[in-house]
Amino acid sequence: MFELAPAFWLLSAAALAAILPFKAVRAALCVLMPLVGLWQLWSMGIGASSHASLAGFELTLYSVTKVNFVFAVIFLLISSIAGVYAWHVSDRGQQVAALSYASGALGVTLAGDFLTLLLFWELMAVASAWLVFARREESSIRAGVRYLLVHVAGGSLLFGGIILFYGQTGTLSLQALSPEMGASAWLILAGVALNVALPPLHAWLPDAYPRATITGAIFMSALTTKSAVYVLLVLFPGWDLLIYMGLFMALYGVVYAVLANDIRQILAYHIISQVGYMVAGVGIGTALSMNGTAAHAFSHILYKALLFMGAGAVIQATGVSKLSDLGGLAPKMKGVVWLFMIGAFSISGFPLFNGFISKSMIVSAAGEAHYYGIMLGLLLASVGTFLHTGLKIPVFTFWGKDQKLEVKPIPGNMYVAMGLVAFGCTFFGVYPQALYAMLPFDAEYHPYTAYHLVEATQILTFTFIGFWVLRAKLAGEPYLALDTDWFYRRGAPVAQAVIVKPVNAFFGAGAKVRDGIAAYLASSFGNPRAWFGVNKGPSDRFDPDLERAPLGAGLAFILLVFIALFASIAILG
Amino acid sequence: MKKIHWILLGMVTLASLALQYFGPPHPHPHAWDSVPLFYCIFGFVSCVLIIVVSKFLGKVWLQKKEDYYEGDNDV
Repeated sequence: MFELAPAFWLLSAAALAAILPFKAVRAALCVLMPLVGLWQLWSMGIGASSHASLAGFELTLYSVTKVNFVFAVIFLLISSIAGVYAWHVSDRGQQVAALSYASGALGVTLAGDFLTLLLFWELMAVASAWLVFARREESSIRAGVRYLLVHVAGGSLLFGGIILFYGQTGTLSLQALSPEMGASAWLILAGVALNVALPPLHAWLPDAYPRATITGAIFMSALTTKSAVYVLLVLFPGWDLLIYMGLFMALYGVVYAVLANDIRQILAYHIISQVGYMVAGVGIGTALSMNGTAAHAFSHILYKALLFMGAGAVIQATGVSKLSDLGGLAPKMKGVVWLFMIGAFSISGFPLFNGFISKSMIVSAAGEAHYYGIMLGLLLASVGTFLHTGLKIPVFTFWGKDQKLEVKPIPGNMYVAMGLVAFGCTFFGVYPQALYAMLPFDAEYHPYTAYHLVEATQILTFTFIGFWVLRAKLAGEPYLALDTDWFYRRGAPVAQAVIVKPVNAFFGAGAKVRDGIAAYLASSFGNPRAWFGVNKGPSDRFDPDLERAPLGAGLAFILLVFIALFASIAILG
Repeated sequence: MKKIHWILLGMVTLASLALQYFGPPHPHPHAWDSVPLFYCIFGFVSCVLIIVVSKFLGKVWLQKKEDYYEGDNDV
């Protein structure tokens, strides 16, 4: 059975969940199958691979390397814990989608060639879209369709790039690309950048994540962007452009998080911001920075899942998701407050939490590679992270003006899942060696130096003071902020004018000419006898009773031929 | 925020400053390390900057009413 790639385990679990009648058994599959995959991955170890051939292509269904091992571990771990968080869900579609989605992410991560990667990439897009549709609200269904269309477009860019790459190199195996390769590398980059949520290709993320189901958003926050970060790490290490794009992402998310009002949308914009660090780490391209990318992806998945779980618990209990409608929940949701704050401290980079031990790696790597502007820019983004996730969301949700909301109890399994992730956030924060031992590249790093502690403490303390002075400005406001989804949500009339109308006009004119020619041919060739002056007039006035020779004439002719035939046989024979 | 919270914050800051100036030096010093209280100022100024700039962009350009997209025939 170990011949089967871990991703296929999950996919067969999804198929099983599609037919199993018992809700609890399906929920157990969602929790246990990722753990089976994890056990398999761990026992196979680095270096394991499996090959197959399809239509003349040699495929590497999975190939465990030092780079993808750490990503695969965290994907399986978080899928299992998200399964615990979703234990109470009885919607079969969501369970099947979640398992397929995890399978897609794992397949992408372990794939050894472009074709396998592409297949799992598309599986991820479809399965994750289902987690948006499953909310069954009109706005979710519309957002889900937009999400799916954008990802199909991204998949096409990737596919186009892969075809060109195969044409250039004659191989499908994954390898680092260089800008000199031209269109193939850039198309692949565009396709991957879309899943990384690199602006301006990011708008699907803050559009869809706040509209996904409460439990589905946990999977989404963990899998799509981070599997793309892994692909970026393998294909585009050391691309200078990515350093600057990474910093741009980190700050872009911060600005929009000030303007966003939905708590899960604020978290979604901070995914973009945090992934910006990872992208910058890929761009810097040193062993330390790329270790930082892998470590930060690992940490980020844990604390971001915890934050989405906390926000989901608030929405589950109150039915409210907008910051401007929330407030005063702390006395009613004490456990959630504590757990959410652990996630908030982690993402903000407080010492002893896991954000500190991974974010600081990328920031230090920028400094060591002499990118001082980038280093300060990333520190600026980290101020924004603490400001929104650590202060704005909890202060206005749990404290602030008491909105007298009714708080329904949330299922116990949600607390269990949050507790597990919170343990992970603190465990790796206190004992970073457990994570560092899994990192792919050879670089030594010590997070708990006096300098780092001073830096983090002073920045965090004075960010807090700045927040306290200006906190009135940060209260949620009932507005939405325009983002690049405007182009495809409001671009329809323009697209109509530019793409649809000229094409329609061209084919319309063509059809007119075609009909004219057909009409001319029909009228002039419909009745050839008219050319010889016999019953002139158009063919449609042809009256067979009058103008066709009588039936008897034809029969007489045939009879005559037979007589001639027999006569000649009789005479000659 | 009670008085005791501010006192605690002040103590944390003082402790960090003590560690900065009497603790072990950083092996790769940065150009800005000689600026006194650099990271304190950085934290506060960044925080104010992020709020002011983002709010400004929101007001003049990005923020729209919540029903902005409602009634659109997008997908």
